[in-house]
Amino acid sequence: MERGRVLSLAHLWTAFLCFLPAVGLGFWQMLMRSPLPAPVDDPNIYYASVTAHGSIMAYVFPTFFAMGFGYAIAVSALGRPLQGEKWAWVGYALSLIGTAMALVPVAAGRASVLYTFYPPLLGSPWYYLGVALVIIGSYFWIGVMLVNFRAWKRENPGKPVPLAMFAITACAILWGWTALGAVSEVLFQILPVTFGWRHTIDAGLARTLFSVTLHAIVYFWLLPAYIAYYTLMPQAAGGRLYSDTMGRITFILFLVFSIPVGLHHLFMDPEHGAGFKFVQSVLTFMVALPTLLTVFTITASLEIAGRVRGGKGLFGWIRALPWDEPMVLAVGLSLLLLGPGGFGGLINMSYAMNAMIHNTSWVTAHFHLIFGGAVVIVYFAIAYELWPRLTGRPLVSKHLADIQLWLWFWGILITTIPWHIAGLMGQPRRYAIFDYSDPAVAKTAFLVILSVIGGCIVLSSVLLFFYVLVRSSFAPVAESMPPIRYALSVNPPATVPALLNGFGLWNVILLSLVLIAYGYPIGQFFFLHNQNAPAYSLTRGITK
Amino acid sequence: MSGQNEPFRFHNPTGFVVVAVVSATVVVAFGLGFLLLPRYQESRAPFSTKDALYHALGFHIHGRAFNTIQPTLKVPTYIAWTETTIQQATTGDRKRGEFIATNCTACHGENGLSTQPWIPSLAGLDPLVLYKQLDDFRSGTRLSGPMSAIAQSLTPQQYADVSAYFASLPGLPENSGERTPRPNSSYRNRDPVQRLIYAGDPKRGIAACASCHGPGGYRIGAPALAKQNELYLEQQLQAFAQGTRANDMDMPMRTIAGGLTESEMRALARAYANENATGP
Repeated sequence: MERGRVLSLAHLWTAFLCFLPAVGLGFWQMLMRSPLPAPVDDPNIYYASVTAHGSIMAYVFPTFFAMGFGYAIAVSALGRPLQGEKWAWVGYALSLIGTAMALVPVAAGRASVLYTFYPPLLGSPWYYLGVALVIIGSYFWIGVMLVNFRAWKRENPGKPVPLAMFAITACAILWGWTALGAVSEVLFQILPVTFGWRHTIDAGLARTLFSVTLHAIVYFWLLPAYIAYYTLMPQAAGGRLYSDTMGRITFILFLVFSIPVGLHHLFMDPEHGAGFKFVQSVLTFMVALPTLLTVFTITASLEIAGRVRGGKGLFGWIRALPWDEPMVLAVGLSLLLLGPGGFGGLINMSYAMNAMIHNTSWVTAHFHLIFGGAVVIVYFAIAYELWPRLTGRPLVSKHLADIQLWLWFWGILITTIPWHIAGLMGQPRRYAIFDYSDPAVAKTAFLVILSVIGGCIVLSSVLLFFYVLVRSSFAPVAESMPPIRYALSVNPPATVPALLNGFGLWNVILLSLVLIAYGYPIGQFFFLHNQNAPAYSLTRGITK
Repeated sequence: MSGQNEPFRFHNPTGFVVVAVVSATVVVAFGLGFLLLPRYQESRAPFSTKDALYHALGFHIHGRAFNTIQPTLKVPTYIAWTETTIQQATTGDRKRGEFIATNCTACHGENGLSTQPWIPSLAGLDPLVLYKQLDDFRSGTRLSGPMSAIAQSLTPQQYADVSAYFASLPGLPENSGERTPRPNSSYRNRDPVQRLIYAGDPKRGIAACASCHGPGGYRIGAPALAKQNELYLEQQLQAFAQGTRANDMDMPMRTIAGGLTESEMRALARAYANENATGP
């Protein structure tokens, strides 16, 4: 157990230590895009910065976080020592080396390809190898999670796998399948060109392969937060989970539906026909289903807790909830931000409405609202929940933690809402600089400055988060620290159907769906279209 | 809990319901997306089932609806950046190129550095740039009496060889990929020429020179301009603006130069001529 703690703690610290500079870069980028003066006023640095910010926030931070959280769940929910800890450390080392390998060329200005690295833009091969290594390291985590999942099931035949473990395993499997898209893009499309074996790249195929990862990765970020919704929050609120079955169905639906939907990122791309775009648009709507189930279940769980605590009337239970508990507060705020974020997402995934907001700041604002507002805020709460258990030292102040979460909530809201509106007014995304002397652009100046103010609040919230964590890490060790407790459901299941206790059939369904939705869109490149374009490096001539 | 002790053994149907919902969704989505909806595309209706399928799969349906009159094609260049072309243009033989280059030195200078201000220096230019210009002179998409005659007497392999030779000479800053931080390279810069080079002027539809010509990002086939002869640069800008030079693929140079004033062209040419490798 002791060693399992160190493992989790190492992952979580790494995650947050990468997160801190990435937030700083994000704030500087906001300044750079605004009419306000920004230090180091250079678009080249802006793109290098976006690459670092995006690569950390999309790949490094959530991956390390999910790994650390996963190990903590495996130990605490299954109540047995972690099997394969050595391999877990190997995975950690690989991901850490990968992170350094990817970020050094970015810092040197040799890989300003943004974290989406869309071909035919090309950066240093070390960047791609580094990102691939982060993913390869996380495959060790997937292996360890599966081994522990199976071992527990073998030792406890017929019993339902604890929901937290079931869910984090779904998350691991989802990541395992979906990461294959980006990995195969890097291996078969980008690296051969960066090493000079080929000169052209099939931009359509590369973008399509990336889209296999591009959307499901969002659910890989989201699922740890949902695990806290279902298993940690009801406990912290002093109530029970409304339905264990609903939780299992939610995580299964995420696993099944999150991959064959990525084509909705390519609605404006010419390489695909309207049919598959439409099919994947419909499938994307199906991913809204588990989120709606979750909103219902979690609100019901909150109501149970509120009524148990003596709340009366139609809304009285809301007041009765312990809002000073960081986990309850974070989930409440996260649910609030999931609303506008989710509805924005419905617009993005609608084939026709997408045309309005495609490639505008709306999209950037949307994923900051979802990732920052609905996901990372719960990561904070999970950290507050886990830290005392992992370090044996109590949290220095719940009050400061609550202030931090409120700051984050308002910061994200003030950053992203004006950003959405600027996007609707036509502000394009991926622009380093805007000419605010142009009357058409000047209209967005006020909104952009509002976003900068929001960014300022976000930054201060992150600094406060680190203050609380670091102070807590130096607090005296408590004599006894209660273990992590996962919420019981109202009717704790004695048995669950085999279908809801494992992933065998769901893997088959997932792969069939991927084959149906992506088989032709990917296959067509091999026998119908040739869209090879000369790849060119941003930093070197093509020939050298 | 074993099944025998329960009075009502409840078989939880959830798993099967989920499977049924998933399958039904797929069937409905394909039916709508491939058969029904394509038939009601406003501009294309009425479609046959076959046409609808083709549309959904992204095939081009030759014949109707697309049967519009095409204007005669005026080609800016006969070069296309295919794997084969790039392969040939980048693997020239420097030694053989040096022999061919004896024909060039009279105008372009002993070491590829021209002393005559209206003739470009070639030393250090990317081989793809040189290869393309030679091919354009041959095909007549770029006009010049002496250069057309010379290019017509050479083979494409010889273009590659002579390009490899000039590319290897020290002179104009090679595409080293240096991206030194340069403060004030946005719209906040007060110098209008520097602003044009690094940020462009979107109000007039003018893209930043630096986004293709560097320093920093070199677009394929776009030459490095730093240290190039001033008069040559100015004349080329004017030629693009007037359309007497028209060998730019997708016409970025004709568009941009057409939006520049005479004095801006002169100032830009001077700024690039006096620029060093990492920035002016």
